[in-house]
Amino acid sequence: MKKAKIKNLLLSTAAAITLGAANTSYAEELIKIGGIYILSGSASTYGEFAQRGINLAVEEINASGGILGRQVEMLYEDSQGKASVAIQAARKLVYSEEVDALVGLDSSGVAQGMVPTMPELQKPLIITHAATPDVTGDLCNPFTYRISVNVAQNMKAAAMVAAETDATHWTTIGPDYAFGHQSWEYFGNYLKELKPDAQLMSETNFPRFGAEDFTPFIDRVMNSGAEGVLISVWGGDLVNFVRQAQNRGFFDKDMELMFTVGAATEVLTALGDQMPEGVHLSTRYWYDAYDNEVNTRFVKAYMDAYGSAPSYNAEGAYAAIYAYKKAMEAARSADGPAVAKALSGMSLDAPNGKVTFREEDHQAMVSPNWGISGPMHPEHGIRTLTNLRIFDGEKVARSVEETGCKL
Amino acid sequence: MAGIGPALLNSLDIGLLLFIIAVGLNIVFGVLNIINFAHGALYMLGAYLAFTLINLAGMPFWVALLLAPLGVAIIAVVLDRVLLRFIYSRDVADSLLLTFAILLIINESVRMIWGSGIHVVQPPDLLAGSVELLGSPVSTYSLFVIVVGLLMLAGLWYLFNRTRIGRTMRAAALDRDMAEALCINTRLVVTGVFAFGAWLAAIGGVVAAPMRALDPGMGDKIIIESFIVVVIGGLGSFPGALIGALILGFIHGFGGRYLPEVNLLLPFLGMALVLLFKPNGLMGKGAHA
Repeated sequence: MKKAKIKNLLLSTAAAITLGAANTSYAEELIKIGGIYILSGSASTYGEFAQRGINLAVEEINASGGILGRQVEMLYEDSQGKASVAIQAARKLVYSEEVDALVGLDSSGVAQGMVPTMPELQKPLIITHAATPDVTGDLCNPFTYRISVNVAQNMKAAAMVAAETDATHWTTIGPDYAFGHQSWEYFGNYLKELKPDAQLMSETNFPRFGAEDFTPFIDRVMNSGAEGVLISVWGGDLVNFVRQAQNRGFFDKDMELMFTVGAATEVLTALGDQMPEGVHLSTRYWYDAYDNEVNTRFVKAYMDAYGSAPSYNAEGAYAAIYAYKKAMEAARSADGPAVAKALSGMSLDAPNGKVTFREEDHQAMVSPNWGISGPMHPEHGIRTLTNLRIFDGEKVARSVEETGCKL
Repeated sequence: MAGIGPALLNSLDIGLLLFIIAVGLNIVFGVLNIINFAHGALYMLGAYLAFTLINLAGMPFWVALLLAPLGVAIIAVVLDRVLLRFIYSRDVADSLLLTFAILLIINESVRMIWGSGIHVVQPPDLLAGSVELLGSPVSTYSLFVIVVGLLMLAGLWYLFNRTRIGRTMRAAALDRDMAEALCINTRLVVTGVFAFGAWLAAIGGVVAAPMRALDPGMGDKIIIESFIVVVIGGLGSFPGALIGALILGFIHGFGGRYLPEVNLLLPFLGMALVLLFKPNGLMGKGAHA
């Protein structure tokens, strides 16, 4: 019995070594990219949508000859929305799967935890979703890039919209973690600069992420006397919030409502005409906002494959793969440090126009989109965005000094 | 303090929904000595089945309220016969492990079948909109939730105290060997109780569907809440499930309005306080577990 066990062990070790060796020679022909997203639990929509964008990019790239003549292969790991899990996943992808580069991260909390480990791994990471300003600020490092809008950029745009309204007394309702709190903090600071007589109410509302019943907080906002409300609740929580708010008559009150990620297509699809008309909605990428060749191709491919309008998360992930293609071709290799260096200051044509990674902090100069919810789209089954504004990415970004990033 | 009326109704609506779900968890534990981690997943299945019947098969809400829980109960019978029957006589820890595995399987299946997107179910026309009550608008649907909760409460009380089936269940819970000696088919009772617990979870899921968005994590959220309920109320106790659910309902309903800064903390604070003074929960019996 014991002998058999040892023999088995030897055999499987030998098999593993052979496979491993086979793997390495195989790996030389492939570009491997690791994706770390939330793939389980209530926020797994975001992981799935990122995968959709990535799959489209990988298919297109592989069909046209790959990167440096090598086919691209994606390997995914589930972050479960936890920083510790994401760090383990990154190590596994880099050390045992030998990926050349990483994309991913849906949550600010995860990004804050994982980004500091990137220099150890010596592979580039492009963040496609997580929005905390810190990762291209205090925590920045030579290997970390972000292709999507961050909270600071979006809140500067939000403050510009808010400053034009008549509302002076502002409060917020957002999830009780980094994203909700940072959204309010940046919004408040920018609004004060633009409109010094604006009042930021001390009465704020931060329900637990995943709270399900937002009624107590909805009542509080309605009774607070606020004239404007910044709403940074997102995902399934936002769907719950809007439906419960609808029930309480929240939308009949005379308040300026600003949903910081309200134009996420997955939320609009779920809500349909329950999303009220005439409120301010923002998104990091609105599929209908960009009239360029890349966007036309991307939106069509997405609609053909999945039958719905692409979300910002799919767009960011799609663009990230193309960013790697361009950087690897510029570096003429898939070597980690070389690719990371090539990304710095690089521009590419993404669905949302020309995207440039700023050299000083590696934040992409991309444009937040703000609009007002309009009538239902006849074909797509979601609210349209009217009065659409595409803010200049450069102008809403923090100055390099403000970011606190030293590269 | 004009908001007390709405806060009260809101607390009741959260609390009674939690009661429907947590009482199933408690009955299963009380009779089968199983801590069913998959209870939240069964709640989710109820909601998704209702979504399918209403949005895809075009059935009215009321039919879904009848059929979806039955469907989940049937799934529970299969789970019981195929998997759980092997662990009834074993340590509680084994049931935790097995039901956790079932939870993962159900979660993943839901993702594969319905995708990870967000789905919504509309309330029936009769229950849409709001009515004026205690000086403020109250959603008709949340009144419906309160009514369903009270009906379930009355029904369960009647079942356990006034019917033969209820007494049989209690007998099986107290002493399975003696029950067997009295010619009670305990195997049938065991399967029946597990299916009944799943049915209750699914009722909760269908009732929750028109007011809470459906996503593949909804079961995980509710199981945490349900465990807080049973810790406060006492594991395995029927009145405990009611008291625990109402306390947690009030913590959410009032905490969010009047103590929003610590709303994250309150449920755990409540739980800690109860554990400090009554380690078995408010209605828990001595060393039952």
